[in-house]
Amino acid sequence: MTDQDICSVGPYLITARNLTKKFGDFTAVDKISFNIKKGEIMGFLGPNGAGKTTTIKMMTGLFRITSGDVWIKGFEVKKDINQIKKFIGYMSQKFSLYPLLNAYENIEFWGGVSGLSRKVIKEKKELISNEIPKEILNQQVKDIPPGIKQRIALFSCLISDPEIILLDEPTSGVDPEVRRNFWTKIYELKKQGKTILVTTHNLDEAEYADRILIIHQGQIILKGEPSELMKARKTDSIENLFKRVVTNHEAN
Amino acid sequence: MKRIKAVVLKEAFHISRDPKSLAILFLLPVVMIMVLGYSLSFDLDHIETVVVDYSQSELSRSLTQKFSHSHTYSVTQMVRGKQSQTPEETAEEMLKSGEIKQFIVIPHDFSSRIKKGKTSHLGVVIDGSDSNIANIIHQYNEMLTFDFMAELKDIKDILRISTKLYFNPENKSAFYIIPGLVAVIMIMISALLTSLSVAREKETRSIELLFISPLKSHEIVLGKTAPYIFIALIEGALILAFARVMFHIPFRGNLWILLMFSLVYIVTGLSLGITISTVASSQKVAMIATLLVTLLPSILLSGFIFPLDSLSPILRAFSYIVPATYFLEVIRGLILKGAGLKHFASQGLILIGFSVLFLVIASVKFSQQRKAGK
Repeated sequence: MTDQDICSVGPYLITARNLTKKFGDFTAVDKISFNIKKGEIMGFLGPNGAGKTTTIKMMTGLFRITSGDVWIKGFEVKKDINQIKKFIGYMSQKFSLYPLLNAYENIEFWGGVSGLSRKVIKEKKELISNEIPKEILNQQVKDIPPGIKQRIALFSCLISDPEIILLDEPTSGVDPEVRRNFWTKIYELKKQGKTILVTTHNLDEAEYADRILIIHQGQIILKGEPSELMKARKTDSIENLFKRVVTNHEAN
Repeated sequence: MKRIKAVVLKEAFHISRDPKSLAILFLLPVVMIMVLGYSLSFDLDHIETVVVDYSQSELSRSLTQKFSHSHTYSVTQMVRGKQSQTPEETAEEMLKSGEIKQFIVIPHDFSSRIKKGKTSHLGVVIDGSDSNIANIIHQYNEMLTFDFMAELKDIKDILRISTKLYFNPENKSAFYIIPGLVAVIMIMISALLTSLSVAREKETRSIELLFISPLKSHEIVLGKTAPYIFIALIEGALILAFARVMFHIPFRGNLWILLMFSLVYIVTGLSLGITISTVASSQKVAMIATLLVTLLPSILLSGFIFPLDSLSPILRAFSYIVPATYFLEVIRGLILKGAGLKHFASQGLILIGFSVLFLVIASVKFSQQRKAGK
């Protein structure tokens, strides 16, 4: 089955078809189509302003879709966004945790909002206490270092055990080691059968993904498995690959 | 309920950890009530008055004395006019130049007519360039002359009008200005609390996560409104206490009824604020919109300054959709008249109706925004 087949069944959990977003005359996302398989890590690559966040926001119902559509687990975003909300977890580059609340309170909040019982929330709090020292978790989030904050944010995003995880620039502003640890966590999630869409403008991270989509000026200019894409274009790094396709695209 | 509780708790933690914003919100009403309370007083004193006494009798002198002994007036007697002018002509010029606010002419036959039991006329000319002030002076004059007549014990057959101002015997404007001010400030602060809180979430984009979460729109609205009831109620009590202490406003009603109505009114304000916040994109916009929507109508169309009866029919109709109109009736009635709960049932129901309406509008607005996206 190719990407051009309109479907929302089969191996694909997410299918986007000619997805377009216009802000007035400006086309932020221009007829993009892609599929994501169950249990896959999809890397969504592109410079700032390429349309990555806009695409995720359309997928979560935050932005109205101008034309085209997305199906998630068989549900159409345009019609059934409330159904879709039940099995997606979303972590935003802009905001994930309330800065004046401590980490535990944030977890209680997102747990409560997701309708978890007090017992489950308590278990979740114990779970994170095993990973991160309690003194830090008792601090207001604004005083917690970015690397740990990011782990807490991911934890809150996963609190309701979502099947599909949408991560918008989760690694921006953290150091390389934190990024590596973060990707270890992503692999664990993949092993648990989660489907993950992760946007990034850090090209070196693309190799961690099963497949990548490169988006530039609102259009998908390349998609496929990173190693195959590099082999086909005879380069040894995603960075060179990226430069080459972007230059080609701009020349055309 | 579980989800609403989560939002309420989150909001309460957030408020308690942001003492700066809270301090501003507590300071603002206190400053406003002091500044406006003192500057908005309509009471007059030392009304410059010239008395031209043609009667020169015991009766006329005692009337003049009555004027000059009152702090309200500052009286000058005039016997002759300047140069070749009559005293009235000179007084008229003084009125024109603004030296005096009024002049009173006591006619030659003043004493003799009154002693015979006949009506005598006092000529009073008031500077009417500010009709409000003129009205107040006229009222003061009437009160004073009625008093004067009441004191003429040896004259039996004269008409005695004994007017007594109920509820506000000294006719102090502060007594009706301050409760009005309380109504205005209370709704402004309540609406600001919620509108700013939602606008802040819009600015930090945290609202997006709430929108993506399984929270229902009405749960967001209720969860964000509820924790502020407590804060707004404390602020309301603070405003009332301040009004009582600073301006010596009497309190004749039942404190619990007042607090109960304040609670209802505060919820109306909070609901109004959250409705405003659905269309405001930032804290700045939310603040300007809230001040505009709460202050202007509450000051101009609620009966706070202009009596409702003096409004044109169109504005009068608008006054019915201003929550402050109803609270003002309650608070003036309670504070000054000591009226009871049964007098204000309709006002209470209308305010509750407003709250429900605003909360529903806000929920529907949020739902639409979530469905449609931007």
